[in-house]
Amino acid sequence: MSAAIALSWPTVAALVRRSANELMRVPGAAIPGVLAPTIFYVGLTSVFGNLTDLRGFDTDTYSSFIIPVSLLQGAGFTGAATGVNLARDIEQGWFDRLLASPAPRPAILGGLVASASIRSLVPAAVLLAVAFAIGADWPGPLGLLIAVFGVMATGTVAALWGCTLALRFRSQSAAPLMQAGMFVLVLFTTSYAPRELLQPWLQTVSDINPVTQVVEMVRQGFVPGTVTWAETWPGLVALAGLAVVLTWFALRGMRHMAD
Amino acid sequence: MSRLAANLRIIGALGRRSIRQTFRRPQLMAPIIIFPTLLLAVQTGGAGSAVNLPAFPEVNGFLDFMLAGAMIQSALLAGNSGGIALAVDIEMGFTDRLLAAPISRFAIVLGRLAGTAALGAFSAVYYVVLGLIFGARIEEGVIGVLLMIAFVTLAAIAFGGIGAAIALRSGSASVVQGLFPLVFVILFLSSAFFPYELMLEPAATVAEFNPVSFIVEGVRDPVISTLTGEDAWKAFASIAAIGGISLGLSSLALRHRLRVGS
Amino acid sequence: MSAIEVRGIEREFEGGVKAVRGVDLDVAAGEIYAFLGPNGAGKTTTVRMLTTLLRPTGGTARVAGHDVVAEAGTVRESIGVALQEAALDPLMTGRELIRLQATLHRLPRAEGERKAEALLDRVGLQDAADRRVGTYSGGMRRRLDLASALVHEPRVLFLDEPTTGLDPVSRKGIWEEVRKLNADGATVFLTTQYLEEADQLADRVGIIAGGLIVAEGTPRELKAQVGKPHLEIAICDGEVERAREVVATLGRPLPAKDGLVLLELEGGAGQVAPVVRALDEAGLAVESLDLVEPTLDDVFVAKTGRHLETEDEAPAEEAA
Repeated sequence: MSAAIALSWPTVAALVRRSANELMRVPGAAIPGVLAPTIFYVGLTSVFGNLTDLRGFDTDTYSSFIIPVSLLQGAGFTGAATGVNLARDIEQGWFDRLLASPAPRPAILGGLVASASIRSLVPAAVLLAVAFAIGADWPGPLGLLIAVFGVMATGTVAALWGCTLALRFRSQSAAPLMQAGMFVLVLFTTSYAPRELLQPWLQTVSDINPVTQVVEMVRQGFVPGTVTWAETWPGLVALAGLAVVLTWFALRGMRHMAD
Repeated sequence: MSRLAANLRIIGALGRRSIRQTFRRPQLMAPIIIFPTLLLAVQTGGAGSAVNLPAFPEVNGFLDFMLAGAMIQSALLAGNSGGIALAVDIEMGFTDRLLAAPISRFAIVLGRLAGTAALGAFSAVYYVVLGLIFGARIEEGVIGVLLMIAFVTLAAIAFGGIGAAIALRSGSASVVQGLFPLVFVILFLSSAFFPYELMLEPAATVAEFNPVSFIVEGVRDPVISTLTGEDAWKAFASIAAIGGISLGLSSLALRHRLRVGS
Repeated sequence: MSAIEVRGIEREFEGGVKAVRGVDLDVAAGEIYAFLGPNGAGKTTTVRMLTTLLRPTGGTARVAGHDVVAEAGTVRESIGVALQEAALDPLMTGRELIRLQATLHRLPRAEGERKAEALLDRVGLQDAADRRVGTYSGGMRRRLDLASALVHEPRVLFLDEPTTGLDPVSRKGIWEEVRKLNADGATVFLTTQYLEEADQLADRVGIIAGGLIVAEGTPRELKAQVGKPHLEIAICDGEVERAREVVATLGRPLPAKDGLVLLELEGGAGQVAPVVRALDEAGLAVESLDLVEPTLDDVFVAKTGRHLETEDEAPAEEAA
């Protein structure tokens, strides 16, 4: 078993390298994934910036409050794009090459998903630069680390979601569903305001939505500015749970490719 | 049959085609109806306590305030979507087929815009019904609803002209599609989602003078109060100005395409 | 033990469409076997089942001694695959692609690189190896596809329409490669819609139509089954129908092709003179007259009533 895992690493690494090649050779393809969350971030800050006047916000700067949401949106977009690329590879027959090889299915999936996780750092870096430029609070080294981890883990989850849909529908026309899924998961949380200030129906939804815990985990370094284990572990559990469930679906989808 | 009647018939036929295209492909509807609905839901649910801010206008609820923004967002997206569809027609050669037929050149653009107008009207009705279901109250009543639908439909045509102009000039669907983020830039720099007086600078100043804000306010007033004469003419003038510019640009782009070829 | 052993393999798709309706075949180790048939005959579906990309809905198959369903992973270690789409990533270079394939087959890095270089040299792509695949011609892509199928020295090689869309020169180049591979000991299973390809390359040919094998054997055996030569007569002035009536009693009329009158000569070449005389007496001007020996297309016509390479249909003289 451990031999099988050891032999899988080169496959994962090779697929990550391939994905990096794509990014470097067509850098323009990365622009939408960076532009959309950045526009949203600056836009929402400009539009809703004075919400912080309401009692219940732990901060004066809306840019600090909402940056975690934009970071996760960027990761979600990047991960969904991985699903779109897989759908394209399936449509064009490239994926058959991987399936007809002896590379273990989990290694193939691992390679796709690992590359998304790393690519999520691209929009995150731009967003953080913009955030600090417009006055967001510095989260401290630990807060930043947690934010980066949250981004990479969300990118992974989003890629698993995208890949599951790609393997199910085998067509790029499923792209809107991939994007919409992540859009909903990230926004239907305590994205715009603290829980107490949400409308009752959104309070309920955000309580059920596991990504709310991830938002809160990533937010803590920015608002209120201190990192605690109590604010961290629910996010970790949410990410782990989502990853496990989606991995199961994705591997199942890969097995059913031969049906 | 008179020339005008013949052209109208052709515009109608092309308009029906563009409507059929849109409604037959649900994945084209998603950005125009589903995304804005999701955004409306989350913004109403998330930022709804904004009504408690001291300078916020008198409203029955945040949804009443937000409906207009969602409608104008759809109108903008319908315009972008129409442009993409026209660019796809150009790419696959369908436009050449039309150009080789004995029909007015402008019928090609107007036919596409007729489709966009239908989409705009549909989305306006959709949001009115949605708003009413979720508790919004239209202060101006039936007249107000009709005015809203009229404004949104005309706005969709005006925005559609810009999409068409870009499609005709570039001949590329991915160029038009690339302008999708610009729609949100325009919306964030207007009073679509929030009163401009309560926005942060410099967005607040831009929003104060953005013609899209005037259009939004023209659609919003019948919901939250009454449509004043001043707001009505500002909205109408903005639509007319944007429409005039966009149709002018479309005309130039069409002439360029005819002169230069594909 | 056969390299490929297929018993009653079937594949039914959603909607009840049966692309493969019960195929039996055996391919001996070291053989080149060609699966010949028109589009939609079931060739690609069969190959996809044998390469574990598609699960059979009936029957069994063993490749390199392993069951394609129960031991799919082991099958994949023993086979090389070059599929119809020549699915290559346009953004990768040729070298990167072969090395990736080597990694997928778990070759140690140094060995993979060495083999990649050797294969690139062998298929004549050394100079283009660092260019992106998107810039390659169709022939270059096929060669790269073939090379990457060989990096792990597979025992059985599957080639799905390896020369479709290629110019004649590139096609001959691929044939050369396939012969060389076979000479080195590889078993080759190839699908094709080109008669000449099957005729030239294959030790044995299986003719497939409508999801079933309708004939199987060496090219010579198959042609001998059909047996007799035929005349191809081009008539001037469009008098094709009258010409057909005139010659109908002098041989066995065959389904028409491209406006020619085709007549099988039961008695061989000696019957050419009576045909010429009959046409002359009927006042019909002959533009050209060719005596043609049987081809695999004739075998196909005999079995299915249709030509392999044109759209002509005729009532089936012999059902499969």
